[in-house]
Amino acid sequence: MSFNDNGGVKNKNNQKEEFTSHELGKEHVEAPKYSCALGGAYGTALGVYGLVPLLHAGLGCGLGQLFGQLYAGGQNAGGPVGGTSTATTGLVEEHVIFGGEDKLRKLINASSEVYEGDGFVVISGCIPALIGDDVDAVIREYKNDIPLFHINAPGFNGNSYEGYELFFEALIDQILTPLPTQKGVVNILGVVPYQHIFWKGELLTIKKLLESIGLKANIIFTEADGFNKLKELPQAEYNIVLSTWNGHRTAQKLEEKFGIPYITFPSVPLGPKQTSHFLKTVAQKLDVPGEKVDKFIKEEERRSYRFIEYSGDALLIARPHSYFAVVADSNTAIAINKFLVNEMGYLPDIIQLTDNPPEEYREEIIKALTEGLTSTIKPEVVFEPDAHLAREKLRDRPFQFLFASSLEANSAPELGALHVTVAFPSFNRIVLTDSYAGYDGGLRLIEDYISTFAGPL
Amino acid sequence: MIKRKQIAIYGKGGVGKSTTTSNLSAALSDIGYTVMQVGCDPKNDSTNSLRGGKPIPTVMDTLRSGSNDFEQIIHEGYNGIFCVEAGGPEPGVGCAGRGIIAAIELLDNNGIIDDYDPDIVIYDVLGDVVCGGFAIPIRQGLAEQIYTVTSSDYMAIYAVNNLFKGILKYSGSGGGLLGGIIGNSIKSLAEKEMIEDFSNKTDSEVIQYVPRSPTVTKCELEGKTTIEGDPDSDQAEVYRELARKVINNQKKFIPKPFDVDALNDWGSTWVSRILLHQKTSSQGIQDDGSGV
Repeated sequence: MSFNDNGGVKNKNNQKEEFTSHELGKEHVEAPKYSCALGGAYGTALGVYGLVPLLHAGLGCGLGQLFGQLYAGGQNAGGPVGGTSTATTGLVEEHVIFGGEDKLRKLINASSEVYEGDGFVVISGCIPALIGDDVDAVIREYKNDIPLFHINAPGFNGNSYEGYELFFEALIDQILTPLPTQKGVVNILGVVPYQHIFWKGELLTIKKLLESIGLKANIIFTEADGFNKLKELPQAEYNIVLSTWNGHRTAQKLEEKFGIPYITFPSVPLGPKQTSHFLKTVAQKLDVPGEKVDKFIKEEERRSYRFIEYSGDALLIARPHSYFAVVADSNTAIAINKFLVNEMGYLPDIIQLTDNPPEEYREEIIKALTEGLTSTIKPEVVFEPDAHLAREKLRDRPFQFLFASSLEANSAPELGALHVTVAFPSFNRIVLTDSYAGYDGGLRLIEDYISTFAGPL
Repeated sequence: MIKRKQIAIYGKGGVGKSTTTSNLSAALSDIGYTVMQVGCDPKNDSTNSLRGGKPIPTVMDTLRSGSNDFEQIIHEGYNGIFCVEAGGPEPGVGCAGRGIIAAIELLDNNGIIDDYDPDIVIYDVLGDVVCGGFAIPIRQGLAEQIYTVTSSDYMAIYAVNNLFKGILKYSGSGGGLLGGIIGNSIKSLAEKEMIEDFSNKTDSEVIQYVPRSPTVTKCELEGKTTIEGDPDSDQAEVYRELARKVINNQKKFIPKPFDVDALNDWGSTWVSRILLHQKTSSQGIQDDGSGV
C-alpha cells in the first residue's frame, strides 16, 4: 500500500483510492483517540476521590498519561493524587532484569505514609506483566494493614475503555463484599472518566435527574467519599449502564457475584426525548410511582422546549435541516445523532466511531445509530479509530457541522464545516462541569453549535 | 595480529554445552590463542571448570551495584582465558532475556572486548532460544558463526532444530550463520548416524563428534576441564582437534530446519533404531546378518 498526496491509501495497482477501516487488532492506528489500558484504569482511579493510585510501571508511563489521558480528556489536571503527584515505581532496566517487586514494596510503604487516602490501588503496566512480577503476592502482604487492591493493566492489554473494565473487575474480585440491598439505590456505569470528556457533568446530571424521581444514584466518581462509594456498589437494587458497550462487563460481573440486575441504555440521555425515555424506563424497572415521574417529565419538557424556542430564529433562518458529521466515541455519537435528528430536524451524513468497540457490540451500535430516527436519511456508520483516515473520510461530503474531537478542529475550515469539540481528545476545550446530559444538555448542545455561526456582531 | 573470531555455542540444557565450550576454550588457549568465554545463561556456571570450579561475579552483579568498574567482570581462568558470566535474576523473577541483552550491550558499548583484545570470543548460550534476549548473539551478527552442541537425545535435536529456525530467520538481515554441529556424548555408531542424518537433512554439517567419557566427568568434579585435568588423554585430543577445526572453519550454513511434524516423524524412526541397537548390545542379540 502507498499513500497519495492527500494521504488516501491507494490499492496495489495504484489506481483507485481506497480507505481501510481499522478494526480491532490491526497493526497501525495513527493518533488513536484513547490511551492504553493503564491510562484507562488510572483515569478511572483518579475519578474516585479518596483513592490513591500507585503506578507500577516504566519510567515515564505516568507522565505520558498526564498528557495522553488527562489533558486530552478536556484539559483536566490530575488533582491532588494525579499527574505529577502520582507515585510510581518508575521501572528501569535493573527492575526489568531482576524484577520490580522490591521497588513496589518500598513504594507502597512510603506512599501509605505520605498520602492521605481512604484506599490505595496499584496499577501495573507493561513491564511487570512482561517480566512476570508477582504483584498480587506483594499486595497480599498488606492485607491487614492498608486497604489496597491491584489492577493488572499492561498497556498492551487494550485501550482506555478496557482499563475502565479492568478497574472494576479488580475491585469486585479483591475489595467488594455482599451487602443488603437498599431499595431505590442504583449504580451508574458506562461513563469512563477522562475518556468520556463530559464525565463529571454527565454523572452529576444523572444523579440529579434520578433524585428528582426519588431514586438514589451511586455515581462513584466525583463523590467526596469515593472509596466508600466503591464499597457500596453491592447494595444497589439495579445497575444502570449508559453505554452500548462500556461498563457491560462490570455490570455482568456485579450480577454474577452479587445478583444485581442491570438495565442498559445506548448512551447518557441527551435532550428531552432521550431523557424522558430514560426516566420512564428506569421508573418502570424500579417501581417508581408513575404520576411523580410523569409530573417531573412534563415540567422539564415544557421548560426545555420553551427554552429551545429562543434558538428558533437563529436555527431556522441561518442553518435549518443541515447535514452533520460526527467523529466520536459510540456513547457521544449515539446521543448527539439522535438529538439532532429527532429533535432538531437535522440530517445525519457520516458517523465515525473512534472507540474501537469489540466486534460483538458493533451491530448494536449500528442499530442505535440508524434505527428509531425520524429522518428518512440514515447516517453512514464507520468504525475508525485512526485520526488521519477519519479525516480523509470526511472529504467531499455535504455536512455543515462537525461534532468531533479537537484533532479535527483545524481541518473543519477546509472541509467547509463548523466544528464543535465533543469527544476525546479535547485539547481545545476545557471541560469542568459541561455536559450534554439531560434536559439542559440538549440546550447546551444547541448553545455550542449555534454559537459557531450566530453573529458576527 | 589475526582478525578476531567471535562464535556462539548453543545447545539444550544438560547436553554438555558448557563442558564442551570450556574444553574448546582451554584447547584453543593451549594451541596459543587468547580466548574470552562469555557465559550467557542466568545460572552462570559456564566458566566454572576454567576457574577451579568456582563461580565468578557476573556482569549483572556489576550492573546491579551501579558500579562502572568493569574490571570486576573479567576474571582470568585456566591459561589466562578471560572468563565472563552475563548472569541474571533469581529463577522465577525478572527477565533473564533482557539480562543477556544488557550484559552483551555493556561488553560491546564499553569497548571491554577491544581492551582485552582476545583472538577468539566464545559466547556460551542457553540453548532453548526462548525469547529475543537469547537470540542476541545470532541476531546482531555479533557471532559470525553459530555452533550447536547436541546429543542424540530427541529433545536435544529438537532444540537444535529450533535454533536453526532462529538462524534462518535472521540470516537475511546480517545475523550469524551456522558453523556446524558438535555431536556430544556419543556412545554408539547409531547415535552418530542419527546426528549425521539430521545434519544432512537440514543442510548443515557435523564438525566433530565427542565421545562420552568418564574422564570428562572426573575432571569436572575436580573443577577442571579435561584439557587441564588430563591433558594426555584421548578425550583431550578430541577437544584439541575440535579447537583446530573451529579456528580453521570458514563455512557458514543457512540451515533448513524441519517443520515440527516432519521432525517428529524423523525422530520416531531414529529412536526405534537406537532402542533396537541398545537392546541388541545389552542382551547380545544379533539384529541382522548371519550372527554366527
